[in-house]
Amino acid sequence: MLVQFYNVSKKYDNGVIALNDVSLKIDRGEFLFLMGQSGAGKSTLVKLLFREELPTRGQIFVASRSIVRMKRSDIPKLRRNIGIIFQDFKLLETKTVKENIAFAMQVVGASKKDMQVRVPEVIKMVGLQGREDSFPSQLSGGEQQRVGIARALANRPLVLIADEPTGNLDLETAQEIMQLLYDINRLGTTVIMATHARELVKAANKRVITLDKGKLVSDMPSGEYLL
Amino acid sequence: MKPANAIYFIREAAQSLSRNRVLSFATITTVAVSILILGIALLMTINAGNIMNRLESDVQVIAFLDKNLNSSEISAVKRNIEKIDGVKSVKFVSRDEALKKLQESYGKDYDLKATIGKNPLPNTFDVKAKDPHQVAVIATKINKINGVYKVNYGQGVVERLFQVTRWVRVVSIAFIILLAAGAVFLIATTIRLAIFARRKEIYLMKLIGATDWFVRWPFFIEGMFMGISGSLIAVLLLALGYNSLVSRIGTIFFMPLVSDPHLLSQLYLSLIGIGALLGMLGTYISINRFLKV
Ligand SMILES: Nc1ncnc2c1ncn2[C@@H]1O[C@H](COP(=O)(O)OP(=O)(O)OP(=O)(O)O)[C@@H](O)[C@H]1O
Ligand SMILES: [Mg+2]
Repeated sequence: MLVQFYNVSKKYDNGVIALNDVSLKIDRGEFLFLMGQSGAGKSTLVKLLFREELPTRGQIFVASRSIVRMKRSDIPKLRRNIGIIFQDFKLLETKTVKENIAFAMQVVGASKKDMQVRVPEVIKMVGLQGREDSFPSQLSGGEQQRVGIARALANRPLVLIADEPTGNLDLETAQEIMQLLYDINRLGTTVIMATHARELVKAANKRVITLDKGKLVSDMPSGEYLL
Repeated sequence: MKPANAIYFIREAAQSLSRNRVLSFATITTVAVSILILGIALLMTINAGNIMNRLESDVQVIAFLDKNLNSSEISAVKRNIEKIDGVKSVKFVSRDEALKKLQESYGKDYDLKATIGKNPLPNTFDVKAKDPHQVAVIATKINKINGVYKVNYGQGVVERLFQVTRWVRVVSIAFIILLAAGAVFLIATTIRLAIFARRKEIYLMKLIGATDWFVRWPFFIEGMFMGISGSLIAVLLLALGYNSLVSRIGTIFFMPLVSDPHLLSQLYLSLIGIGALLGMLGTYISINRFLKV
């Protein structure tokens, strides 16, 4: 079991209850959608996974370790096992494609040699050969998200977490990105993706968890969702 | 810290310094001015302390002896004085010596002996205390010894002197603390702006799994660089200025300026150390708020 949530609730300081008594399990190798209307608590759930936020109640285990009781100094180790993909890509504008990816490896203390091998590898995986020396501003949205994915993959994470990775892309580009995520999943990486995009979820035919006002209202095995 | 990372940290710090060139320059200047004033204040304190020490060490108790003591009684008094706690030295000054000194102070043209007839002065002991602050206590004890009819230690004046020296010390310490706080505040501000400019990058680094120290190092290097280069400039100016002062004037209030090279180099090194410390402190104040991701 890769991820376990036991009766997790999250109440923000301003009193908003973003998650209400959520329990769920995610296996290694799964591909999972998180659905729900705006404000349903998708991003909150994702942030709990990499401990950007702590739950107010309940327990969360990632790879059998409680991340609630985790020491602050152990958080970097948790995050190195998680690749995060953002809706707005969060690329460093002053660095090239290559440098953006290498940066993620440098940050976790990888050696120069590792980087020299791994960076071209992930660039090839996301299909950006030839664009290594471009700056983010010279790339299309879809290409920028490919860089984001390559960066998330660079440190060989157990799980890839994507919060609306296609939110800023047109449908066609979004489908290409989805294809890339399926390929990565097929190679063994667990993928958790929060999204609004019903078409993508329906077409994917994967497990779907639906949140509504912080409550888990459905957990279906193949492309079905409530709401 | 891995060597590969060290290069990265230093490059990041240098980039940040040059990106905020104007502010970095302003901060280094302010640090230099602060350390310079701090250094001047310290040099003044050291010299003032030196003067005080000399003044204080001149403080002594004079014990006036009864007229008709014979030499064995005089040495008995001496032994009794030496027995008192805190007495450093006891020196006998005979009445003849005292008169000779007095005559010297009047000059050759004035024959003191002729004017006053026979020597009116008593034999005395000049007593020095190990700690000049103890003279009053020691004087009281000496006064009780048989054969001593009076003691004098500059009553009133001595107390005033000690009061003044204490105030000088307190005021200069307060001044120095104020200045150091100002420098720290400025460094903290500069670093805060440098961090603010890169907050998205820091957030990203933290989410990728960077340790706090990986994020901190470049900023610490930047802060320390500003602190150290500012204090280096200050020490350079201070050393040049003070050396020329020593070689040109050499004394102050008829007391020689402190010029012990060992003491001075220690002072300069400490100032540079203080600069580095201010840099680290300023950075530390600013950075932790941004690491809570
Ligand atoms: N840092 C925060 N402080 C206070 N309230 C927050 C915070 N983050 C989110 N919320 C609130 O928690 C609720 C759930 O927000 P969340 O971002 O998890 O929803 P979401 O499902 O991701 O929405 P969207 O689809 O719009 O991204 C919302 O009501 C939101 O206003
Ligand atoms: Mg969201």
